[in-house]
Amino acid sequence: MSVLVAFLVWPILLYFVVVNAAYLALNLHAIPTLRRKITLRPLENLPPVHEGLVPPVSMLVPARDCEATIVEQVRGLLAFDYPEFEVVVVNDGSRDGTLEALRTAFGLEGFPEVYWRRIAAKPVRTIYHSRAHARLRVVDKERGGTADALNTGVNASRFPLLFPVDTRWTLHRDGLRILVEPFLDDPATIATGSTVRIAHDGASAGASGQVELPESFLARLQVVEHLREPLFGRLGWARMNAALVVSGTAILFRKDVVVDAGGYRNDVIAEDMELVVRLHRLQRERGERYAIHVVPDPICWTPAARSLGALREQRMRWQVALAESLERNAELPRLAGSGAAGRLAYPFFLYFECYGPAIEIAAYTLMTAMFLLGLIPGMAFVAFLALVFSLGFMVSMSTLLLEEMSFRLYPRWGEAARLAIAAIVENLGYRQLVALWRLDALSRWWQSR
Amino acid sequence: MRTVYFADPETAFALTVAAVTFALGVLLLFAIAALGALRRWRSRRIAAIEAQWRGQLERAVEDPRAARLPRIGMRELPHFLEAWNRLRESAAGDAADRLGTLLTLHGIDERALRMLRKRSTRLRLAAITAVGHLREARAWARLEALTRHSGPVTSFAAARALLRIDPRHALDSLSLAIPERGDWPLARLATVFQELGAPVVTGALVTMLLRRPRPGLDRVVKLARFGQPEKISGIVRGWLGSSTDPDVLMAALAYIEDRSDIPWALGAASHPEWRVRMAAARALGRVGGREEMPALLELLRDPIWWVRYHAAHGLTRLKGLAPHELDTLRQDARDAFAADMLGQALAERRWA
Repeated sequence: MSVLVAFLVWPILLYFVVVNAAYLALNLHAIPTLRRKITLRPLENLPPVHEGLVPPVSMLVPARDCEATIVEQVRGLLAFDYPEFEVVVVNDGSRDGTLEALRTAFGLEGFPEVYWRRIAAKPVRTIYHSRAHARLRVVDKERGGTADALNTGVNASRFPLLFPVDTRWTLHRDGLRILVEPFLDDPATIATGSTVRIAHDGASAGASGQVELPESFLARLQVVEHLREPLFGRLGWARMNAALVVSGTAILFRKDVVVDAGGYRNDVIAEDMELVVRLHRLQRERGERYAIHVVPDPICWTPAARSLGALREQRMRWQVALAESLERNAELPRLAGSGAAGRLAYPFFLYFECYGPAIEIAAYTLMTAMFLLGLIPGMAFVAFLALVFSLGFMVSMSTLLLEEMSFRLYPRWGEAARLAIAAIVENLGYRQLVALWRLDALSRWWQSR
Repeated sequence: MRTVYFADPETAFALTVAAVTFALGVLLLFAIAALGALRRWRSRRIAAIEAQWRGQLERAVEDPRAARLPRIGMRELPHFLEAWNRLRESAAGDAADRLGTLLTLHGIDERALRMLRKRSTRLRLAAITAVGHLREARAWARLEALTRHSGPVTSFAAARALLRIDPRHALDSLSLAIPERGDWPLARLATVFQELGAPVVTGALVTMLLRRPRPGLDRVVKLARFGQPEKISGIVRGWLGSSTDPDVLMAALAYIEDRSDIPWALGAASHPEWRVRMAAARALGRVGGREEMPALLELLRDPIWWVRYHAAHGLTRLKGLAPHELDTLRQDARDAFAADMLGQALAERRWA
């Protein structure tokens, strides 16, 4: 029996050590990218980009039942600072007055445009043009979901780069220029993702460069969380061209690779996440040189979940999205030339991010049960809890250190202190609660398959 | 039943790891606080020093001998050079010369030359830019060596500095690197070519175009727009009869500007690569007349949307074709896709 206890305890301890060591390694791996960014930041002596050679961009805006907000959102996009772009709004069979609001606000008229259906999508009813806004086109189609609307947008787009827009984001006014830079510098670039930051409570933080730490403690916990994985984690992976999970944020795609890949899938929750994983798989299968970059600049801001209920729903959705994306591209790690994306990133996301919550919750349950049954003494149980807390604390601190070394979005003492407190408290129940929700999502997804 | 005690390896391991990582976490917390304090102190100090420089730099724009620069230590030198470079970028004519004199008077030009050998990218880049602005011929050999640096930022900054010092000589020196260095951002290189002007860059562009570098020809063709068209056009159009490479043919078709080249465009209209057919459609629309209508009508039935689109627009631009004839063409078209595309092109022309 004692051998059995030790047999159970050792893997649990080692699992936590390995997971946190991996996060720490990713943070360390992100440092050269950040250093390069910091080194080049004060350099205004590089010649400006010649606007005639900047690739034009098609912004794709899926719109469904958003009569109240769509006009302002489209106005915001039309005011973007970029040399050449078009805004393709796809009205996904809205049942409210979305189309009418657009027609009235922008003076839309039906136009005899020939629609090129390169990717399967629901039928298009009418394509509208605006005499007042030459950059705007609105495609009215039958209801088919976000992925279907995006595929219609891809079909209707005219330019070589695609920028799917989520109307919940707040984008920095130079965001598109920053995202397009890897395409100018590296011809192998097929996609560029940004990192994502948590916006100040309800405010349009980030667009103007004025950044404040959210007031709500729940939002601050999410700030720390977003610093760790979606920011420095992604940068660490991107250095190995293994940024597998890039979603929920601004991504610029090369259109030809999206078309070749068959566009967005309709049967997944996060179509952008799945598409990025699929692009890795397809490019590796073909043995073509490619690069998926991540820019560290804070250009995309998303509102924090405001309540525990909303947070739970969001995390459960993300968990299912991750499981679906990995499952649909399960061949990636088995490919001959799968590289870091298949050999490192895929197993990392599968065992630490996808199955991780199950392993963590099982570990907590098992250790508690063994303690309550007297199989391990109180000291061993305390040592386990101390190990879990200390590892999480160290990784959180390393994340905050990177933030201090690089962007310092929260430079005031008070903000830095509040962020540090959130980083400590995050490990005392919050992470465990999120792991529980993610396990719940995973088990529901598993049962529904 | 044996329980796991404090002295057991599992507990000892967990406590040791917890203690070490907790200590590391606390250490990192202190590092965050110390780094924050250091950065605040440093930025205040730099701001104070910069305030002194700014006044003197502005005075130097009027009279460099009247400016009294405080002693600039090695730590402040990159900041100073960056501030000087920024001001120098916005200055022109005599003001630019006077800013250069200021550096010479204070021996900073010598220090910038020495900084070219530093390992720090930031120091080296500030120095590269400064010696470029100073048109410092003594830096030539070092800058030439730096253009071969593996990092695109350093090598490209060095190339730009050379182009500032002696544009024609630098273009000769860089004519191999410009097509080959795919990591030099073309959109930034284009800005430099535009700044230098067509009379300066045409010679080098002609040399590069005649050499037809592979890979890199696509880069040179894109830069060719900054040369003198009368000298570039003949070379590029000459490729029509001597190449089957789609990229080369597309570039050549873009330069067709009179009817004498129409046979080449008609030949390219049946090329297996759709991008070449698209370029042929554009060329035929640009210079063609009524005689080219059958070829464009054929392209209007192409399986590729973009070829049909440009063929339709080509038809609307053909010389000697009246609008009502296009409407008739559209109504008579047996291919529904072709008719629709022509309808779109006509509508776009009316909206434009």
